[in-house]
Order: sequence, then structure tokens, then C-alpha cells
Amino acid sequence: MKDLNYQKQSLITRTIIKSAVLMSEFGAESILIEQTAQRLGKALGVDSVEISLIPSAIVLTTLHDNQCVTTTRRVHHKPINMSIVCEIQKIVINIEKQRYDVSYLVKALKDIEPNYYNRWLVIFMVGLACASFAYLQGSDWNAFFITLIASATAMFVRQELAKRRFVLIITFGVTAFTATLIASISQINGISSTPNIALASSVLLLAPGFSFVNSFLDALKGYLMMGWGRWMEGILLTIATSIGIIIAMAILNIKGW
Amino acid sequence: MSDLFLKLVIESLFASIASVGFAMVFNVPKHTLTFCALGGAITHTTRTILLDLGMGIELSTFIAATFIGIIALYWSRKYIIPRPVYTVASIIPMIPGTYAFSAMINLVDMNSHGVTPELIELFIHNGLKAVAILGAISFGLALPSLYFMRLNRPVI
Repeated sequence: MKDLNYQKQSLITRTIIKSAVLMSEFGAESILIEQTAQRLGKALGVDSVEISLIPSAIVLTTLHDNQCVTTTRRVHHKPINMSIVCEIQKIVINIEKQRYDVSYLVKALKDIEPNYYNRWLVIFMVGLACASFAYLQGSDWNAFFITLIASATAMFVRQELAKRRFVLIITFGVTAFTATLIASISQINGISSTPNIALASSVLLLAPGFSFVNSFLDALKGYLMMGWGRWMEGILLTIATSIGIIIAMAILNIKGW
Repeated sequence: MSDLFLKLVIESLFASIASVGFAMVFNVPKHTLTFCALGGAITHTTRTILLDLGMGIELSTFIAATFIGIIALYWSRKYIIPRPVYTVASIIPMIPGTYAFSAMINLVDMNSHGVTPELIELFIHNGLKAVAILGAISFGLALPSLYFMRLNRPVI
């Protein structure tokens, strides 16, 4: 691949940055984004790939024979979807092993299918997961079932809001509000002896685990800007969740606070 | 002894259900779900055993998180899947949800009913526990990958 003309190199650059943007949008680690871009560049025949990551954009340059192509893309954060990240990873390894060229990458990126689980299965499993968490914290069986119903309903609300493409902060606030409203049944007439556990566990489906874990991993590996950005994202989502809980409690005027 | 064993088995079952549920929220590939379940069971069992041996909750959380970090490193090399897919779902059973929730309630309480020394004490206790456990989880997860990270070598 010695004869890369300008058109070919810019096509390679655009395709590499497309895969980098997809990975960044759906929640991959920064070091993984950078290394994926560099491996793709090497496999497709450019000399080197340099990448600059900030939370809201990606700048990428490919170098080949004293010729640079640089391009920038905006990154819009979307709900975490790990199967897309894994899919891109597989494509990269295919390209490295089978020596495909850039047209394969263009086609493969177009054909990525997000691995969406059945909607009702997710709702049921999330309800069960939050209820299991309540059990692990030491709740009684009434609180277990109330948590199951509350978080399953909350997941339904979250999916509905996600379908209408609301901002994540609004989605989280409204979902927390719904979960708390239903979970507070456990406080009426002392149905459950552990109402606080039910209230705390039913909003667990909103824990921004990926934001915080990724922010730590990024910051410790030298991507300080990305670390700050993801940390802030996690904090904002946590605050939105707390506001939802507080409003629901204020409306119900739950005893004991 | 058999009581502890029975408790461990039942609780690890619930922990794996919790991990699978959260893995589905993050849309992980279908074939990794089993490993997420296994990871949740491993972290919870490790932490319960260490707590039973008399260690503090922060230290046992840290060791459990480091353990799952090492295991996930092995799995990710073997199946070519990014590590966070396994680790984030596996640590879900250890999240200090109740502490964080109580700290928030204490804060709201102070705002609406006036600040008292007891409330401040409760708030600092709950908040510190939540922050310490969260810090233990994140550092425990990051540590193995930092140890195995070398320049110029792919992470997975």
C-alpha cells in the first residue's frame, strides 16, 4: 500500500474517526479508543495515527509520506451500549488478521447492529436485579417485592423516555421520581420493616457505574480531561437522581425526614 | 460452618441475578452474560468471606474489586472483550446504595428541620462510608490494569 493518494488517505481518516466516535459515544475507555484508532491505521496502511480526545469531540490526524490529513468530529453522548464497542473491536481484529482494506471497514461500520435485548425481559430482569440487591442489603420479603415492582416500573419509564430521546438528566430525574413514589408503599402501615432499603434499592438502576469506573480508569492512565468529563457526567446524573427522589418524598411528605 | 456455606450460596445466587440485570441495562453482548453473573457471585462471595474473617468493609471491598479486576483481565484477553464489560456489572452487588441514600436523607433532614450534632454525625458517618467504599471499588478495579499496562501494548 505504498501509493496512497490524498483521496484514499482522507477516506481512511474519515472511516477511522467514525469508529472512534462510535466507541466514545457508547462508553468505551479512552485508552481503548486511542489504541483501536492506531491499530486500524496501521492495518489500513498509513504510517501513524495521532488522536486528541476531549469529552465533547475527537480530533484525529493520519500521517503518510509527509502528508497529513486531520479531521474533527463532535461526540454526542448516548446511553451506554457495550455490544457496539465489542463489535468494533471484533472488526478491528478481523481487519488485522485478514488484511481487508478500507471498503470492508466502511461496510462493517454501516452494518453494526446494536444488540438490544427484548424490552420486557430487560424490565423484568432489572426489577429482579434491584430486588436482589435489596435482599443482599438485608431487606424482608415485602420490601423485596415492592422493590421489584418499583424498579420494573421505573425501567419501563426510563425506556419510554429514552425512546422519545430526552436528555439523560431529565430521564434520570423522572425515573427516580417514579421509583421512589412506588417504593414508598413500603412505608404505609409498616408493611415492611425495612422501608429505607426498599427506597434505596429501587433507584439503584440509575447508578452511573460506567461513568465513574471509566473516569477513574481514564484519569489514572493519563487522560485527565476525559476523566474529569466523565466524572462530571456521573456527578450530574447522581444529582438528577437525588432531585427526583427528594421531590417525590416532598410530595408524599414521608414521615421521618 | 454449614450455615455460612448455605448463606454464601444463596447470596451469591442473588448477587449474580443483580449483576445480570445491570449488564442488560448496559447492553453487553449475549455470550458475556454468564461471565457477568459469575463475576457478581465471585465479588460478593469474596467480600462476605473477608468480612467474616474480621476485615473492615473498605479493605474487603478493595480486595474483592482487585480480584475481579485480575479475573476480568484474563477473560478479556481470552475472549477479546473490553474489561469494563465484565467489571462494571460484577461490582454492582457491592455498591454502597444504602449508605449513600441515608447520607442524602440526612442532608435533606438538616435542611428542613435544622442542624443538630446528631444529624451531622450521622451524615458524616454515612457519607464517609459511601465515599470510602466507592473509592475502594474504583481503585481496586483500576489497579490490575495499571500493573499490567505497558506502553505500546494493546489493552485487550
